[in-house]
Parts: sequence; C-alpha cells; structure tokens
Amino acid sequence: MSRGRWALWNLQEKEFLKEEKMRVKILILLIFSLSIFSYSEEILLLKNANIITVTGKDLEKGDILIKNGKIFEIGKGIQPLKGAKVIDLNGKWVMPGIIDSHSHIAVEGGVNETGNLISAEVDVEDVLNPEDISIFYALTGGVTTIHTMHGSANPIGGKGIVLKLRWGKSAKEMIFKGAPKTIKWALGENPKQSNFSIAGPPRYPTSRMGVEESIRKVFEEAKDYMRKWDEYNRKLKEWKERKSKGMEPIPPKKDYRLEAIADVLRGKLWIRCHAYQAQEMLSIMKLCHEYGVRLVCFEHGLEGYKITKELVKYNVAVSTFADFWAYKWEAFNTMPYSAAMMAKNGVLVAMSSDDSERMRRLFSEAAKAVRFGGLSELEALKMITINPAKILGVEKWVGTIEVGKDADLAIFNKHPLDPYTICEMTIIDGEIYFDRAKYLEDMKKKKEEKEKKNRKA
Amino acid sequence: MNKLFILRFLKFTLILSLLFPLLSAQEDLHNVWAIKDCKIITQVGPPIEKGVIVIKDGLIENVGVNISIPREAEIVDGSKLTVYPGFIDILSKSLLKFPQEKVEERREVAGEPTEKERGITPEIKAYDYADLSKSSIEKFHNSGFTVVNLIPEKGILTGVSSTFSLIDSGKEQAFIQVDPFLGIRFSPARRGYPNSLMGVFAFLRQTFSDTFYYSMIKERWRKEMLGIKREAYNPRLEILNSYIVEKKPVVFLCRNQHDILRAIKLGEEFRLNYFICDLGSEAFRVLNEIKNSHARLILTAGFKAPVTSIYSRLGKEEKERAEKEIYPKNPANVASAGIPFAFSSFETDEPSKFLEGIRKAVENGLSEDIALKALTINPANFLNLSKALGTIEVGKIANLVLVEGNIFSKDSKIRYVFVDGKRFEIKEKKVEEGKTPQVNVSGKWEISLESPMGSMHFTLELSQEGSSLSGKFISQFGTTEFTGGKVSGNEIFFTMSINFGGESLDLTFSAVVEGETMRGNVQGQMGSMEFTGKRIP
Repeated sequence: MSRGRWALWNLQEKEFLKEEKMRVKILILLIFSLSIFSYSEEILLLKNANIITVTGKDLEKGDILIKNGKIFEIGKGIQPLKGAKVIDLNGKWVMPGIIDSHSHIAVEGGVNETGNLISAEVDVEDVLNPEDISIFYALTGGVTTIHTMHGSANPIGGKGIVLKLRWGKSAKEMIFKGAPKTIKWALGENPKQSNFSIAGPPRYPTSRMGVEESIRKVFEEAKDYMRKWDEYNRKLKEWKERKSKGMEPIPPKKDYRLEAIADVLRGKLWIRCHAYQAQEMLSIMKLCHEYGVRLVCFEHGLEGYKITKELVKYNVAVSTFADFWAYKWEAFNTMPYSAAMMAKNGVLVAMSSDDSERMRRLFSEAAKAVRFGGLSELEALKMITINPAKILGVEKWVGTIEVGKDADLAIFNKHPLDPYTICEMTIIDGEIYFDRAKYLEDMKKKKEEKEKKNRKA
Repeated sequence: MNKLFILRFLKFTLILSLLFPLLSAQEDLHNVWAIKDCKIITQVGPPIEKGVIVIKDGLIENVGVNISIPREAEIVDGSKLTVYPGFIDILSKSLLKFPQEKVEERREVAGEPTEKERGITPEIKAYDYADLSKSSIEKFHNSGFTVVNLIPEKGILTGVSSTFSLIDSGKEQAFIQVDPFLGIRFSPARRGYPNSLMGVFAFLRQTFSDTFYYSMIKERWRKEMLGIKREAYNPRLEILNSYIVEKKPVVFLCRNQHDILRAIKLGEEFRLNYFICDLGSEAFRVLNEIKNSHARLILTAGFKAPVTSIYSRLGKEEKERAEKEIYPKNPANVASAGIPFAFSSFETDEPSKFLEGIRKAVENGLSEDIALKALTINPANFLNLSKALGTIEVGKIANLVLVEGNIFSKDSKIRYVFVDGKRFEIKEKKVEEGKTPQVNVSGKWEISLESPMGSMHFTLELSQEGSSLSGKFISQFGTTEFTGGKVSGNEIFFTMSINFGGESLDLTFSAVVEGETMRGNVQGQMGSMEFTGKRIP
C-alpha cells in the first residue's frame, strides 16, 4: 500500500470509528444480558432457508432440524417435533459456522514467550480469557470455531488450542473437545527479530539458516531425551519383573520443553508453521520429511503459489490472507490471486484472520477469492469452513451442514459472499449465541432506559 | 576518606542514640491488666455481658463474670466497651520496606537478566524487611489489627512470609513465626524467561517438577548412595522443597477469576497445600471450582474490577457500577456458598481502608459473625496458630480490640488495642484545622543539626501541595522518604522513620519557616535536638 493509500485508509477508518463508537458502546452494554438470555432448546427447527451445506448439494427453501446440539435432519417441509422451537428464516441464507484457523484472541498476558528461543512448553490453554470481547465480535460475523495460538517470535513457540466461541461460558467449556492440540513454529523475519527486538540481550539466530538449525538442534535433543526415557522404562520393567531385586532405576529428569518436542516427533502436536517465502517453506518441509513428522499447515504462506506441487506432495495446507501483503520485506512477493491459484492446484487453503477485526468479516475475505482468482462460490466458502476444519482436525464435527454434525451455523440476510450481506444469527451446538434482531431490540431498550434515567436525573 | 567516614558514622551513631529511649520502662510496669464490665465477644461461645478479662505477662489469665481481680492489676473501665479478639491480617505487604532500586527504563538492557528481574526470589524473607516502627504499626492499631503476616509480593516466586505481633519492642519480640507461606504470583518477568503469562505457568510446572526430582534424588542418595550420582546442592530448591514437596502452604496471588482457576489447576496437579488470595474479588464467579478443590481462600476488600473483567471493557460507567454493586458482594457470595475465608489487606493496604472495605462487605450482605471470623479465628487457623490466637480464651495471647460500639458500624470508636498484653491507647484523630499555609517550602534545604558533638549536615527535599507535605531526607547513610507532613501558617511538621542499625527510629520534625531559612527541632523517642535550615537555591 502506498503512503497515500495508507493515509486515506486511516482517515476512512477514523471516520468509521467515530460513527461506530456510539453504536458499539451501546452494543457492548448488551453483551452481558445477551449471554444471560441466550436460550438453549433441545430441539430447534430452522425453516424456509437457503441452505449452503458446502458439500456441493445446496437446498432452496429447506429446513434444518437440530436435536441435542447436532444436525438431525435436513430437508423440505420437516414437521416440528413436540416442544421444538421453530424459527422461520423466510429465505435467509444458512451456512456452516465460519472457522478461523489462525488467530490470537482470548489469550491473556502476551502471545509470545520470547524469553527462550524454543518455548514449546508454554501453552495457550493455561491463559485463555473467555471474557475477551473479540469473541463476541467474531460471533457477530458468523464465526463459531477458532484456533488461537502462540505468536511467531520463536522458531518453535508454544501450544495452541481450538475453541468453540461459547460466549459467556468458562474457558474450559469453550475448548473444542477432540480437537488435536497444535504447536506454533515460525520462520523468517520474526524469529530472527528483523523488525523488532525483544527485551533482553540480543538473541540467536539472526539468519534463516539459524532458524532452521535451531529446530534441528532441539529435535536431536528431544530424540536423545526420548531415548533416555525409553531406556529407563525398559530398565524399570526389567526391575519389576525381577520382583524388585537390585537397585530401582533412577528416572531421567522431566523436561516439559523436550516433552513437547517429543510430542511433535510422535505426531501428537500438529505443526502450524508461520512462513512467507517459498525457499524457506521448501527447506522446512524437507526437514520435517527427514524426521518423519507431518507439517500440517503454513501460516500466511504468501509465496505458496510458487510451490503448489511441493505443498501437495508433502500434504501441507496453507492458511492465508485474501489481499493483505507487502507489510514487510518477506511479504512482498504475492498477489490477491495467490489463494485461488493454490486452491486450483490442489492445495488445501484456508482464509484466516490473524486479527480480531478481520475475523468478523471472513466471509468477505472468501469472496475476494471469487473476485480475483475466479474460484467457484463453493470453493471460496470451503476456505472458511471445511478447509480450516480439516487443517484443525475437526472436520468430523464441523465445517459442513450434514446430518450428525454439530449444529454450528451462521445465518445471513443475503448470500454470504454478497458484498452487502449481514450476519443475522450465529448458532453453536444448536444454541443461539448471537441474534442481531434481538440484540438490536435490547440495545434500543437499554438506550431508552438510559435516556429515561438521565431525564429523571 | 575512610577514616573520615568512620568518624562521621560514629558521630551520627552517638547523636541518634541520644534520641533513643534509654529504657522502655514505663510499659513494663503494667504487665497485669483487668478489663472490667465489658461485653466480650469471645468467639468460642455467646458474648459475655459485663465480663472481666485479666491479662498477665502477655497472656489471657482469666475471662468471665465474677472473676477476682488481682490486686496489682491496672484496671480498664470497660463499661462502654465491647472486646473482640485482636484482628489478624493474614496477608499484608504494607509493613515491608525494601531498599530502593533503580528501575531501568530501557527494556533492551544488555546482559543476561538477573533472577530478580525474572522474579525468581523465593529466598527473600519477609522477616529481613519488616518495618515495625511505631508510626507504621500505629496505623494497624487504629483499625484493630494486632497481628500481621507479611509477604513479599513481587515477581513469580515472591518470597516467604513472616508473622509478627504488632508491638514496637523490636522485631525479635514481635516475631511469631517465620516462613509460614511461600508467595506465588502469575507475573511475567520484565526481562528474560518467562516474560509471558503462559510462560509463567510453564516455568512453574518445570520448577515444581524439578523440586520433586531434586528431593527424590537427594532422598535416594541418602538412603542408597551406591550407584547413584548425587545432586548438586541447590539452596533455592531446598527452600521450595519445604513448600512443594513437604507441603507447607503456598499462596497464589490471583488477579482475577481466571487466575483462580489457573491456581487451582496447578495446585491440584502438584497436590500442593495452597491458598488463593483473591485480589480481584472474583471468587464469586468460580465458587463451584473453589468448592471442589483443596484450595483455601483469602479475600481482599478493595473491590476493584480487574482489567480482564468484562465490566472494565464496557467503559468507565459500567466499571464503576460493578465496583459499587457487584464486587463488594463477593465476600457475601463466598460466605453463602459455605466456603470459609480470611481477609487480607492486599488491594487496600492502608489499614483504615481495609476496615472500611470489610464494613462495605458487611453492608453488602456479609454477616458480621462471618466477617469477624475472617479477621480472627480463620486467619489463626490458616496460620496454624489457633492455639495461640483468634479467640478470647484463657492461655491465649492477650491480643484484644476494645471498641465503643459495634466494630462493623462506622460510628464505632476503637479505644484500645492490647497486643501481647501491652496496651495501646488509640488517640482520636485530631480534626483541628491547620492554618492556611503562608509559605511554600518545596525545594531543597540544607539542614544543620546542632548536637553536643557539633553540627551535622543533611539535605531535605520537600514538596508541598496545599497544606500537605512530603519529601526525602538525605544523609550520607541513605535516603528516607516520608509523606503525611503538614504545613500550617509558617510552620511545618513531618514524621519519618529511618532505618538505623536494623532498628527503626521515628523522628518528628517541626520548624518555623522564615523566608529562606527555617528553625526547629527534631524529636526522637527520648529527647530532642535543635536544627536550622537554609534553602539551597
């Protein structure tokens, strides 16, 4: 973006903020009452909707029956079961709840542990903040599942976690059960601190070579650590079989960091690797191949369009932006066609936010892939639903509208890829967590009450 | 140069020793007391009306009605008074004085971060930094407190606490127990690892695990020796060993409800004997989790919404509403869930504000009975001192609060406190209006102290705002800060306590200001000296 465009963008943003400030304030006031009043019927019937299932089979004027938080039936003219709550959507659009595979929201006390080059032992799960207002903002944009994680300051950062945005519930209740845990890696300028410096003395590495070497080094350490534990367990078993004769073997010291790296080597932690440039992506894929571990997804991966063959070969997905680039040197060589180009060449691509603001309009990010890369609407919508679900290992439960899957739905007044579309309702496990109409009504009431109070005063 | 310094130090010592009491004889005269005709809230049965408490040698000798009063007893007329067990502040930081240190402004300081910068200081003992000077403990007496458990609060492994009686006859006399608690705060390091909140948890897990390992290897080496490589001696892990492995209590200082859950997770994972200190007054949000854990609860009475709270994000108006309507109900909510707790002065610090906060909790539905327990029996239990403190019973330490009226009502007046059988009279606050200040003394002054050994020179840095005065007293032996001074007409008054050879010494200055000079005297506990001052331009 040129300087002029930045300025213009800033100006527009400021004006927008001014206008929005008042509205947002009142909006926020209602959040609590909303979370308290959100209802949870066991049976919910959505009628007369344009259903985008993202399986390829869409349904006009169809119904969805939800029972115990799962999708029970999809079809036309479904009769409401006894006690069911019925919502007539009257031609509105229903799509699977949007999934954001790369974010840092709902994390308290910093997203980077820069005190160590490798910080695999830290875990976002320990510091979740379920009161983060960004969760609510995301709901207003139809987002139901997110992946929140460690930042990109370290070659190997901390563990990340998949959440369902059950706003108003505790951190524990937000965790997506069954979703594999992830580990954040990072290549390029951030781990070598090209654009910022952390507190403390200068830190190794300062080159891309060094970044890769630091990963290889800790892999070797972890292998050694695993060997020690295997040996101990073998000795312990022998000792027990000999019925406690001789000296009980002494266990190695537990090391939480190497323990996490060992889990990477065992494939228990899914690798999410922040990278921009083609050559470093190629190089790290080879390294992972050498150690027999699966690199699940490149984060941003702006030059991924150059290496689609290799991405497909190593089965690595890319979680990227629609048209956000050139904010630093390593992020220059891309274009808005990149996502579509990768998708057309068979790479699993997701549109992700990395940002609480972009998160609430991921549907328009998907639309950009239609506009620029000429993707089909279905392929574009996959980038914010089933594709991120696959990247997160939760496609069994979410990502499409299918019988048996979780009833996580986003309801729009127009087609979700329409530039003028507005998210009207967001449902997770059959429970309504955001309802714009009800919300606006409550907001109006609160405003009136406040005015009344002011008049009295 | 060295000789000169020693000479000066000697001179300084001599001068200051003149200000010291030669003997604290007058207090020792009365070691037998009888409080007559008072209402006694013993906390072990129903209140006793028109009862007598006999105190001898610092302990409660007798309690009840129709008790013979020893002849030698000094009588206190209690006909208008209610007597409560002396209050215990289970967790306090306000009587700790640490040497001042320069805070590096720049974050990118060269060199490895120190352990202190990382916040790993379990070896800091509250005992070494306790300041039990008369002026500082007086504030506690004024609000009915007789015992404090002081704990260092900075860093991650903050240090170990010490329990003191609030008497002014030296730390050794005041000492009750050393190292009962280890403090833990989820506070990322300024530099170095761990500098994120999540890093703190990873760090704590590794540290706890290391402590267990250290203890295990040590134990096995002691028993078997043959074939075992001994561990290197590690003073830090030795300290942690008593808390993490041997289960002396740790206190998690929790800023919000999420911290409470995190503390419970760690506490249960490592089977710790642990307390949760609810700094954010959010225990009411996670009552079930607390109930289902092994945590014991310490509440505070500041009632400020934590920054993570949704109310804080909703703007000033919502935040203030929550702090008025929601957070002060925290103790009442905890009480109705049947969870016992003690009150700590964290988040209020000033004892008067602390008592005010507890009264606010009572206004917001906390029963007076439970509030009183949270200041007496419960902290005594938590500190493992219930045989000595917490109730009015024969044989217990004679710590009492004598109040005109109900302590939880704002109109009540605390008349006396007894600490270790020593009586302290609570002076009524002088409400006298000072004269409007006619001088502005802000700035640096050179002070010459006239003494039998000649004159000594100090620098005084004053800053005056209206009629209130604060500043610094700088000598070659260090800098002492003070607040709470006054300017009235052309006179100034201020008190400070300076640390002198491990002892705290209270000095009260008063002076008349005339233009660029001042003249006055400084009063110690025994005797006074004249001084003159000249403004340093």
